[in-house]
Amino acid sequence: MPVLEARNLTHVFADGTTALRDVSLKIGEGEFVILTGANGSGKTVFVRHLNGLLLPTQGVVTLDDVPITHNLVEVRRSIGLVFQDADSQIIGQTVAEDVAFGPENLRWPREAVQRVVKEALAVVGMEELSDRNPHTLSGGQKRRLTVAGVLAMKPGILIFDEPFTGLDYRGVVQILERLVRLHELGHTVVLVTHELEKALAHADRLVVFDRGRLAEDGEPTAVIEGVEKYGVRRPHKTGEELSALTWLR
Amino acid sequence: MAQVIFLRYMPGDTLLHKMDGRLKLFCLVVLSVAVGLATGWIHFLVLLGATVTALVWAKLPLGALLRDWRFFAVIGVVILVANAVFVPGEPLLPYFPLVEVSQEGLGVGLRFAGRLLLIVMVCSAVMGTTPISVLRDALEWCLRPVPFVPAARVAMMMNLTIVFVCVIMDNYAEMVYAQKSRCVESCRNPIKRMKFLALPLLTRTLQRTEEIVYAMESRCYSETRTQPIFTAHKADWGVAGACLGVLIFVSSG
Repeated sequence: MPVLEARNLTHVFADGTTALRDVSLKIGEGEFVILTGANGSGKTVFVRHLNGLLLPTQGVVTLDDVPITHNLVEVRRSIGLVFQDADSQIIGQTVAEDVAFGPENLRWPREAVQRVVKEALAVVGMEELSDRNPHTLSGGQKRRLTVAGVLAMKPGILIFDEPFTGLDYRGVVQILERLVRLHELGHTVVLVTHELEKALAHADRLVVFDRGRLAEDGEPTAVIEGVEKYGVRRPHKTGEELSALTWLR
Repeated sequence: MAQVIFLRYMPGDTLLHKMDGRLKLFCLVVLSVAVGLATGWIHFLVLLGATVTALVWAKLPLGALLRDWRFFAVIGVVILVANAVFVPGEPLLPYFPLVEVSQEGLGVGLRFAGRLLLIVMVCSAVMGTTPISVLRDALEWCLRPVPFVPAARVAMMMNLTIVFVCVIMDNYAEMVYAQKSRCVESCRNPIKRMKFLALPLLTRTLQRTEEIVYAMESRCYSETRTQPIFTAHKADWGVAGACLGVLIFVSSG
């Protein structure tokens, strides 16, 4: 049963640019879905619709068969979106302050806020850094902080928009470890990336976007063979070696 | 980046770091008023002493702060020169050939420049020891009883302004480096150079604004948030009393 569904989504920007054209996609509970596609193919615009940040020109997004516009606050709480640019997502001047931003908006009691902040920082391995100024953190730490900021709101679905961009090997591994762990804990994970070799082994599905359209959707082994025609690099190891497409050892 | 530390919170365990946010806001207002009222050199000396004591007490990195204050020092010099030249009065050097510098103008200029630098120092001491969320909550607490004032919105606007000042300063520093690496210094026309810097900075800031708005919305931004818990200790009242003492001293002439 799909928890999150986009039906015939079309998005046209004010300047007339069509970013999405009739996109329909169902994401089931506990799935690990990778969305890929060339730059400008509509991936980021699409995931912003899933979180209700952008509203479609046509079509509808539903969560458990209820249009997300019925209760945007609850939708945003239960669908955590980690942005591509970590710096843009950081609002607090300390790590703990930033992680508390979401729970405080939800008006959770002070003790509950402190507890979830602690828990979220523990999940991303940043308990020791709770007093640090986020702007002094490394790229990988900033990315983990943004994950903690989303986790603190206890979402069931996690969307990561290009989480590996600009990270070194260690940074990618740290983020990927957390991402896989969260999936194992039962979260639905949607990962937007064009670096398939880093995480494809963990995915249940691979979805390809091309110029605003959903071009391919299926099992990674089936879809990966044709990704190059959509401007996505096909990793050398394919087929039975799909399990090798990860940066985790 | 994080090279610019002015207006940035620097974690610590000092009395000023632990001080109640509401009282710290009170101290900021009281000292700002005192700076505005200061006229004589003794006033400036007392205020300078109080501010430096706070900065040292808070164990803030003075060297790095001094580097950041350079920008304000430049503005201070401009204010000083403008006043010295344009305020009429007794000439300082009667036979100075190009411009006439008045004694009164110099005095006014020194006072304005001194006030600017003192305000910057007071802000550095408060912002360096206070997480922005504490200041925001304190401001909201203070504004809540005021009718027709959307306290939460005003407090969040103050919060975002400070976050943005830091973001803009970071962007500025990054762009200066990027342009220096492309030999911008060989362009002698300062207006052209300013254009190279100002337009991309404005564009980048607007982009960042949009991103931050999205980020806040995705994390359920609301004006009715979890209520903060404030606790004022005796030492906090002591610091607030000392600041009030400075204000009384300055205002008594």
